[in-house]
Amino acid sequence: MKKIMRQALCAALLIAPCLVYAQHHEKSKAQAAAQSKPKAVKPAIAVGVASDSRGRLWLARVENQHLLVNYSDDNGAHFSVPVRVTATPEAIAADGENRPKIVLGADGSVMLSWTQALPQNYAGNIRFARSNDGGKSFSEPITLNDDGRITSHRFDALMTDGKGRVTVAWLDARDRDAAKAKGGAYAGISVYTAQSQDNGVHFSANRRLAEHTCECCRVAAVWSDEGPVVFWRNLYGTNSRDFAYAKLDDGIVHRASDDDWQIDACPHHGGDIAADGQGALHLAWFTNGKTRQGLFYKRVAEAKESTPMAFGNAAAQAGHPGIAAAGDRVMLTWREFNGSAYVAYAQRSDDSGATWSPPIQLAEAAGIADYPLPLFRGTRAWVVWNAAVEGLRVLPVEFGSGK
Amino acid sequence: MKHAFVGFAWLLVAWGAPACAAEPQSFTANSLAAIQAKYAGQPFILSMWSVNWCGHCITELTMLGKAAKTHKQLPLVLVATDTLEFSAAIQQTQKRLGLARVDSWVFDDDIPERLRHAVDPAWHGELPRTYLYDAKHRREPVMGVLSEQKLQAWLKQHQ
Repeated sequence: MKKIMRQALCAALLIAPCLVYAQHHEKSKAQAAAQSKPKAVKPAIAVGVASDSRGRLWLARVENQHLLVNYSDDNGAHFSVPVRVTATPEAIAADGENRPKIVLGADGSVMLSWTQALPQNYAGNIRFARSNDGGKSFSEPITLNDDGRITSHRFDALMTDGKGRVTVAWLDARDRDAAKAKGGAYAGISVYTAQSQDNGVHFSANRRLAEHTCECCRVAAVWSDEGPVVFWRNLYGTNSRDFAYAKLDDGIVHRASDDDWQIDACPHHGGDIAADGQGALHLAWFTNGKTRQGLFYKRVAEAKESTPMAFGNAAAQAGHPGIAAAGDRVMLTWREFNGSAYVAYAQRSDDSGATWSPPIQLAEAAGIADYPLPLFRGTRAWVVWNAAVEGLRVLPVEFGSGK
Repeated sequence: MKHAFVGFAWLLVAWGAPACAAEPQSFTANSLAAIQAKYAGQPFILSMWSVNWCGHCITELTMLGKAAKTHKQLPLVLVATDTLEFSAAIQQTQKRLGLARVDSWVFDDDIPERLRHAVDPAWHGELPRTYLYDAKHRREPVMGVLSEQKLQAWLKQHQ
């Protein structure tokens, strides 16, 4: 019987292959619809890390559509039992340029932000939750974007002064959508922010920081001596995708890089910013512009900017830089691919970014791996690197031993 | 039974069932060599895109879809840098844009850098990215959206 059926089917297939294709296509459509909301089938590789004033290492990661938080008191050798931040599962962006963010308040507050991926293309919500009992329990997550649109609110950045002020910044497509609805055009999207004065119990209404930004590069942020500072890939002229930074308290947008990267494309490659507590900002970014190609570092202090310094091996796809600073110590991190494996690198400066060590090869990863994340705890430096095969590694970087 | 049915359908598609979009082939570190072998001695266009996160790619594919209407034998190879899970979405988008019949591939490696390295070590993943190959397979990389002007110039020279 089966054989006859198969023969009949084959005949039908030969006569009308496209009919069959169409049937399959319907199924494909259903599959595509199901797939438009990515499921967390693989463990999310991108994690968030932070250290508190006691030197405790905090970790935020995504597992089975839940955001989990735990900590280590022994440099990552052991971690506490994870606590769930999300009461109900949601699609949390945690790969590539997306990761959950975690910051700590001096009073023991633990605060997190993340991007919830929505089923619609490129759409997302900026989410926030907090703990006021040292991470034992978390508030019900809230959505910070307040425009009511289903559109791109993504690439959140979270920062705090540790004393109650909290700022979240993100890329937001509401202005583009509004312009399009009126039949107009809008280059790129915008940066929006929400601020809290009470460790995230209440947030102010959303405020636009900048118009016409690149659409899909992560936003970086840091709390400096002069308040919150945001660093993002901006649009200059018709299509130059160079970086900008702004201190939120004065709102002035400064051009951070002048690489003349004119490209109507998605670089998917953001930068990072650090503040050293001595008035300087330290910037790291990727470009493929006419003027410069590869990874670059610069220091900005009292309106004086250093000449961009290249780092990393561009021929090994060096990319996705991280930067951290503590006093005179500054550390750069990045990832390369050596043809068969990912390699994590760091470079350190003991003199506020004036001179630098040679690249330090930290570790390799046999499989998929996150970007290496730089972290100071006091003046001691670490690189946290999550990888599918090797797990989470907390790698010390020695400073103060000469260049 | 169902498997045999679907499997047979795909076999037919692979044989070149008319006007049917084939499932994208799995693109691995050796695939570019296979593509170049297929187009040995012939010019072709290799276009890298993503169905998942690249709005500018849709702009480029829309333009290529229009070109495919007037150039029935457009030697175009599309490589999506997504994952196999997105095969159906890739097919659907190509069909919508009139690109159902061009060579279609999708990245198949947990480490996309490995495949980018195989295509071009200087490529950092930004999309769209297109390579215009001449008959001797000297290639010109194009970062960002391929302009219609550039495509027409290339077609004039190579078709």
